[in-house]
Amino acid sequence: MSSNTASSSGGSGDSSAARKNSKRPKYSKFTQQELPACKPILTPGWVISTFLIVSVIFIPLGVISLFASQDVVEIVDRYDNDCIPAPARTNKVAFIQGDAPKACNRTLTVTKRMKQPIYVYYQLDNFYQNHRRYVKSRSDSQLRSPKFENQISACKPEDDAGGQPIVPCGLIAWSLFNDTYTLSRNNTPLAVNKKDIAWKSDKEHKFGNKVFPKNFQKGNLTGGATLNPDIPLSEQEDLIVWMRTAALPTFRKLYGKIETDLDNGDTIQVTLQNNYNTYSFSGKKKLVLSTTSWLGGKNDFLGIAYLTVGGICFFLALAFTIMYLVKPRRLGDPSYLSWNRNPGGGR
Amino acid sequence: MKRFVYINDDEASKEVMNQYFLLIACLQLWSLITPVNPASTWGPLIFIFAVSASKEAWDDYHRFLSDKIANEKQVWIVKHGIKKHIQAQEIQVGNIVWLRENDEVPCDLVLLFKCGKKWTHTLQTAALDGETDLKTRVIPSACVGIDLELLHRMKGVLECPVPDKDIRRFDANMRLFPPFIDNDVCSLTIKNTLLQSCYLRNTEWACGASVYTGNQTKLGMSRGIAEPKLTAMDAMIDKLTGAIFVFQIVVVLVLGVAGNVWKDTEARKQWYVQYPAEAPWYELLVIPLRFELLCSIMIPISIKVSLDLVKGLYAKFIEWDVEMIDQETGTASYAANTAISEDLGQVEYILTDKTGTLTDNKMIFRRCCIGSIFYGNENGDALKDAHLLSAITSGSTDVIRFLTVMAIGNTVIPVRSKAGDIVYKAQSQDEEALVIAAAKLNMVFVGKNANLLGADESILPYACAGQQTRTITEAVEHYAQLGLRTLCLAWRELEEDEYLEWLVKFKEASSVLVDREWRIAEVCQRLEHDLYILGVTAIEDRLQDGVPETIETLRKAGINFWMLTGDKQNTAIQIALSCNFISPEPKGQLLLIDGKSEEDVSRSLERVLLTMRNTTSEPKDVAFVIDGWALEIAVKHHRKDFVELAILSRTAICCRVTPSQKAQLVEILKSCDYRTLAIGDGGNDVRMIQQADIGVGISGREGLQAARAADYSIGRFRFLKRLILVHGRYSYNRRAFLSQYSFYKSLLICFIQIFFSFISGVSGTSLFNSVSLMAYNVFYTSVPVLVSVIDKDLSETSVMQHPQILFYCQAGRLLNPSTFAGWFGRSLFHAIVVFVITIHAYANEKSEMEELGMVALSGCIWLQAFVVAQETNSFTVLQHLSIWGNLVGFYVINFLFSAIPSSGMYTIMFRLCSQPSYWITMFLIIGAGMGPIFALKYYRYTYRPSKINILQQAERTGGPIVTIGNIETQPRTMEKEVSPLPITQPKNRSPVYEPLLSESPNATRRSFGPGTPLEFFQSQSRLSSSSGYSRNCKDN
Repeated sequence: MSSNTASSSGGSGDSSAARKNSKRPKYSKFTQQELPACKPILTPGWVISTFLIVSVIFIPLGVISLFASQDVVEIVDRYDNDCIPAPARTNKVAFIQGDAPKACNRTLTVTKRMKQPIYVYYQLDNFYQNHRRYVKSRSDSQLRSPKFENQISACKPEDDAGGQPIVPCGLIAWSLFNDTYTLSRNNTPLAVNKKDIAWKSDKEHKFGNKVFPKNFQKGNLTGGATLNPDIPLSEQEDLIVWMRTAALPTFRKLYGKIETDLDNGDTIQVTLQNNYNTYSFSGKKKLVLSTTSWLGGKNDFLGIAYLTVGGICFFLALAFTIMYLVKPRRLGDPSYLSWNRNPGGGR
Repeated sequence: MKRFVYINDDEASKEVMNQYFLLIACLQLWSLITPVNPASTWGPLIFIFAVSASKEAWDDYHRFLSDKIANEKQVWIVKHGIKKHIQAQEIQVGNIVWLRENDEVPCDLVLLFKCGKKWTHTLQTAALDGETDLKTRVIPSACVGIDLELLHRMKGVLECPVPDKDIRRFDANMRLFPPFIDNDVCSLTIKNTLLQSCYLRNTEWACGASVYTGNQTKLGMSRGIAEPKLTAMDAMIDKLTGAIFVFQIVVVLVLGVAGNVWKDTEARKQWYVQYPAEAPWYELLVIPLRFELLCSIMIPISIKVSLDLVKGLYAKFIEWDVEMIDQETGTASYAANTAISEDLGQVEYILTDKTGTLTDNKMIFRRCCIGSIFYGNENGDALKDAHLLSAITSGSTDVIRFLTVMAIGNTVIPVRSKAGDIVYKAQSQDEEALVIAAAKLNMVFVGKNANLLGADESILPYACAGQQTRTITEAVEHYAQLGLRTLCLAWRELEEDEYLEWLVKFKEASSVLVDREWRIAEVCQRLEHDLYILGVTAIEDRLQDGVPETIETLRKAGINFWMLTGDKQNTAIQIALSCNFISPEPKGQLLLIDGKSEEDVSRSLERVLLTMRNTTSEPKDVAFVIDGWALEIAVKHHRKDFVELAILSRTAICCRVTPSQKAQLVEILKSCDYRTLAIGDGGNDVRMIQQADIGVGISGREGLQAARAADYSIGRFRFLKRLILVHGRYSYNRRAFLSQYSFYKSLLICFIQIFFSFISGVSGTSLFNSVSLMAYNVFYTSVPVLVSVIDKDLSETSVMQHPQILFYCQAGRLLNPSTFAGWFGRSLFHAIVVFVITIHAYANEKSEMEELGMVALSGCIWLQAFVVAQETNSFTVLQHLSIWGNLVGFYVINFLFSAIPSSGMYTIMFRLCSQPSYWITMFLIIGAGMGPIFALKYYRYTYRPSKINILQQAERTGGPIVTIGNIETQPRTMEKEVSPLPITQPKNRSPVYEPLLSESPNATRRSFGPGTPLEFFQSQSRLSSSSGYSRNCKDN
């Protein structure tokens, strides 16, 4: 064909011309866009086997993930409603903001053996820790070092009390969760270890060991928990945990760890102080006792999602195989090029 | 002499974009609304401006260096009778500059003195107009005979026109003061000037008064900034950007209102947020503005830089291409305009010049007809015709006169070379050919003294009454049918008084400042009557190599060719036939539009149009032929009809057209929304080249003027095939992917932010931290896609064998609202996948903000890597490196940030990467995100393949995976594979094209006018040059 001969003759003449003219571009595979390339082609076999392989990997992974999730033993107890005395339930907000005693007793039954460590979480629903106004209201530098005590500009409206900077400032710290739980098993106290519940890196680098709470909860409005002004922030682990803001409106935060196994049939009495106001925005409060697996807490989502995706891939592989068998199509058949067809029949 | 300060004047659209980014960056400074650290916008903005600024600074520095050399060059000036050395930049208007032989002229001068007695004097103007012949330059008559010693006492006034860039005109006057000549005004022409950057040759020295310096010189003026050309794709991207902007505004408004409503209803109950009961009025704006900032990355900030980089590289690929180097002269192609390479792939009309573009412009004297005797008919070479030789030796009057006129009626300058041979240098290749032929016939032309030759049509009317012109006319026709260029030679003896009388008029005309050329032409015409026709010369101008094949291939690619030539109709038609422009009868049909009066033209146009409409259904190659005169009338009075004709006709031949008419035709086609490419080689094509969407210049023999004005200059016409089919097509494909992908990845992250706002109280919280937002567009996602610049969907051989595939580019199939909607949908789907999986996999105790943000970001990065991989057609080492290397880079960057204790994401990435659940989540995101897209691609690829896919399959199943490196093996396999294609036997192919995607729902067609018979034609034969959407957009 003419185009071929033209290009090949052009190629052969190049080398001689190259010597003649120094201005000519330097020849390289890159400049000529001729780098050796791998050009994959989507053949049915290739595609079908890809989908098969994916489903073969995904389905077992899904099963494993589901098993991991099933292995996790979880006790969830919603107490926000039950811990309000029946007469006060018409106006829960007034009750929680009032001075009436807030103590409340709950009984949990262990239905399956739980191996230590057992994590104790509190779970809040409909609580927007990720709200723009809330999530920004903190001063990391103030938390880190006493030098930056006055860096409170981001903390509004909880920045100062009577002209004195609040340490730790900001809405997050101010709204610190303040329900407390005391656990006992079969009437013997069950120790809940509240040490090392925060990230090690936070304790070491984000929260200073020379920064002490100051003016905290001294403003016009009282928020959540108060802090012991004699303990440095690096050891206020509840605060550190709380200040790792959650990205979702439903979240669990670690309260402590139980370092003994719980047996099937054990009853656990929880004495809790129901202080935290989630009633004004109808948020739920739950106490969660949970073990963990290699995948984390109880969460069937990953397993189900893996099974679904694996199933879809298997289905696609099957569908493509059937299509290939029923309606085989030769790849690259030039008769599909419409300009090769009869002009009359083309339309 | 300061050179022109280059001002970077970006396209308007880019300025709008820059203002948008700047506005966003300024809004970021308001801490109440900024979702993240302002650095996330300022960082990329500064980075991007730094990149483009340093590119400009680099260019400026080089310009400065070359300016400095030019400015500080030492020149001699004469002041108070003394020769002084000064720097070129210190020359002022009015200084007398002294030049030696071979010196470069530093500014525009009017010649005053020169060495030697000869009154002719030569100048090489190659740098100015690219013409290598030497130009005659004369001393103005007023200065002739002045003693050199008086030079320093010379005073006078030079009246010169406002500086312009016309290097062929200089209509000035000079008047010298006493004691020199009387107050006589001496007219000056371009012949009296020495223009900047020319070289003085053949003269020992010369003196001139500077008239224009600096940027006012002819060279300086012509260096002006060409109007930036906007490619079709740029326009489309602008449109899409506008659409995205509107979408963004809608999102902002909806979310802003929702946010304010939520704030007033829900957030009041959220005591921990502490919304004040009373708020200033602007509080209402805060949430919408926050969303505006969150969504601002929908319009990718990196698109400017990556497109600039990529376009620059395309241009380089064109320049580097060894297959586009002219073997004879060694000139490589040159891309003066780096911004429009993808337009090459969308060309629909090529308007080509004939002489020098299709032909070699090497004139060879072949035949002649003297009196009524034809010479050179037998062997095709008059110089070897025994009859002619014997006629010369016998001294036939007519023959001798003929040869005399042939030898002297011209502007040829004989240059005696060192060996004693005479070399002729002429401005016109025709004249040169004649003189050389005359010389071979023993009529040596040595010196110049003060006959006529011209195109036959202009001479014949002036022939003296009674002379038999029929033979001559027949001869002209005959030669023209052979595709030869004809010139008529005529002769007239002038009486002495007549000449003197005429001379006075001529002088008068030549000293007019306004319209001088026209006046001179008028005066000259007075001499031209009662001519005695001596005969006709026929000069052959050979077609360039590969022209017919190139035109055939490009026509197959659906490109329509129009030939615009100054040549006469018959020659033009012959050339057109010989280079596959039009098929010979009966397949082709030529329709002639002619006539001298308006009615004639109108009637003829009507008739042609009717035939056109009727023949549209037949597989016929219909072309119309029009000459300059009829064109003038047609365009002036019947523009609408002519435009319709232009749309209907795939081929047109316009002969005897002027440069401005060429430009006008380009304008007409452009106004019909066609992409036009103009190719030419001479100064008469410059306007057309500048007017067209893409101007291509052939750096040929008629000088470099066209090549200078053009966006691309190539050495030979046949390179056009490669320029369009290979470079244009690849550029289009790659850029279509690059730009849509840029939007895809920006939308992806934006959608996630939008989704997140629904679970964060519609308050405008950013899920991603500042570092991620900043690096996402600039680093994480821009590197892999940049390498798509070397992606090839089809091998060059396949494209050359199936040029029809260019249709996809012409019709804009790869970048249009529907493909964009596909990408939009893909980003929406991926955003949903990433968001849903992330918030479910990282729920409850894991829902930590920084972690969740990083998981979602990693999901996006993984998905985008696989999307690039899936859209890549050929993987070279670079592709693998950038796609997978970028992933590694992502983790490295994040590990680095995770190691900084003061950063917000301290230890986050280490924590995540040590959790199995992170990797499980990533796997799931990839599987769920890519599976359906991959399945869809496979389904389309196999069961609804585009022609590109079919060719890909054909080319890739032809053997083992073929690398481009061993291109020799490929054609063979291809040949085997495609041998049943009628394509390989083009002659059998019907010229009727049908739309490539007739079965595709996207194959909408341009419709012109309401007529239904047109509909059939367009779908069949017009190759549906543009999809319907562009038409619709126009209408809206």
